[in-house]
Amino acid sequence: MSEPAREHRRIAVFGGVYSNAPALAAAIADARTRSVEAMYCLGDLGGFGPWPDRVFPLLRDAGVHVSRGNYDESIAAGLDDCGCGYTDPRDNHYARISYVYTYEHTAPEHRAWLGTLPAHQRLRLGPHRLLMCHGSPRRVNEFLWESTTPDGLLRRLLDDCAADVLLCTHTGIKWHRDLHGDGHVVNVGVLGRPENDGRTNVWYTLLSAEPDLRVEFVPVAYDHEAHARDIERVGLPAEFAETIRTGWWTTCLENLPSRERGRGRF
Amino acid sequence: MKQTLPIMPEGTVAAPTAPFVSLDTLWIQLTGTWCNLECTHCLNASGPRDPWLKPLAPAVVRAAIAEAERLGVREIYFTGGEPFLHAEALPLIAESLGVAATTVLSNGTLITDVVADALADLAGRSRYSLEIRISLDDIDETLNDAIRGAGAWAGALEAVARLTARGLLPIVTATDVTATGVQGRYDQLHEFLLARGVPRPRVKLMPTFSLGRRAGGSAERLTEAGLEGFDRTSLQCTRARVVAEGGVYACPILAGLEGARLSTGSLEASFQPASLYHPACVTCHQTGMTCANG
Repeated sequence: MSEPAREHRRIAVFGGVYSNAPALAAAIADARTRSVEAMYCLGDLGGFGPWPDRVFPLLRDAGVHVSRGNYDESIAAGLDDCGCGYTDPRDNHYARISYVYTYEHTAPEHRAWLGTLPAHQRLRLGPHRLLMCHGSPRRVNEFLWESTTPDGLLRRLLDDCAADVLLCTHTGIKWHRDLHGDGHVVNVGVLGRPENDGRTNVWYTLLSAEPDLRVEFVPVAYDHEAHARDIERVGLPAEFAETIRTGWWTTCLENLPSRERGRGRF
Repeated sequence: MKQTLPIMPEGTVAAPTAPFVSLDTLWIQLTGTWCNLECTHCLNASGPRDPWLKPLAPAVVRAAIAEAERLGVREIYFTGGEPFLHAEALPLIAESLGVAATTVLSNGTLITDVVADALADLAGRSRYSLEIRISLDDIDETLNDAIRGAGAWAGALEAVARLTARGLLPIVTATDVTATGVQGRYDQLHEFLLARGVPRPRVKLMPTFSLGRRAGGSAERLTEAGLEGFDRTSLQCTRARVVAEGGVYACPILAGLEGARLSTGSLEASFQPASLYHPACVTCHQTGMTCANG
């Protein structure tokens, strides 16, 4: 196992962007005020939102280190679907609309760039060995929900990938598990849509080595109403705009475990 | 009953195999094939008399849960038969919830107010999700009970109501035995549950299999040639193991069948390729189905 190439003491980490360029811009601006040495993104740049291509220059101009998610893999390879792994026909209906729209509105050069992104990123944060992935280290589309990811599995994943800290996204809801001497696992949340709690802000994560690991979840407010109007204007489903406007998920619900589903409205 | 189930005859040409990838799901065949119902399409021919696969002793279940935790299991499922027939069902579910997210597959008819209270208490005290799956094959009582037996429809829906009233979100599981298409089936059940006051309906659809009481419908088997280019790691037997009477098996619906047995001892000893020998393997290959929740 090679040593990580980069070393930092304080970083910002973004989860799925889902074509939400205004939220990404707000998060980058916020992170710049918090003395971070670097910014990272764990993939899923497209989906749900109206202007997929607007995300790419924001990431490049800010020097965000990006790894790929399942959405990025599918868009880059021109696959038939987003690879989220839904089994429910209603979820697949909306996922299909989102995916086809995103593919058709992502420029060829951006699709090609998605194909160059690494699956994982490693770095050292102070004394901590970090591994960043999208779903899990073993599967890009594995959902690591807080209520269905047991400590025993997390210890095994950390051990298997020789890391002290594992960062993931993909589910859309943030969480942090301190394994008390055996490491940490952090789902960094997402920028693309609110996290099904009736609030319109989105979230990213700050990690610091002090030297103990410090994890801070940062709420990001942005012009969500304008984003919702743009979703409607381009003809994407009203359900996508409703989620942005209300903070309640309206689609892609069936994979939610009962604990997380019970906190939502639908 | 056991001799009526399709078991690969000795001496048959070797079947293709699926590799073992990881222990994502541990299935516990808690009551074997002991059930208070006797459905016409039952995958393992469960019923109320002389179960061909016996219930598990609590010590066996506890040992499996402990080993699975050590091996990094992701989720645990209790099935049967009807799991709530087991005298130790609730304490064993509690033990499982201390280790991982836990799902119970039930016909619902034994989920009384007392049981529902206990489940809600367990769910509230656990850091992990508790899922209860309730089987229902048709929104029409007559059609459903023609498959599942008299009183099954009412019992299932009473369980759904009891669990919903306590803040649990049961998953209604239906086979396509009476279906006219997946989307229509899903929409039908969704609307039905909404109309019955279930605010957040959850529905899982399962195909039927040439197995158990529906055995004999197909003699088709998977072959190496037929699997060329297919990603075998998409099959659930690459990420699941089942503890049932007699050992550890590769597949929840083949538990108890000699051809699916991978170990007579530990879970870890079952971490080896699974034989895709059974006609049911054809259905998994064709539909991409999983017995797990999502």
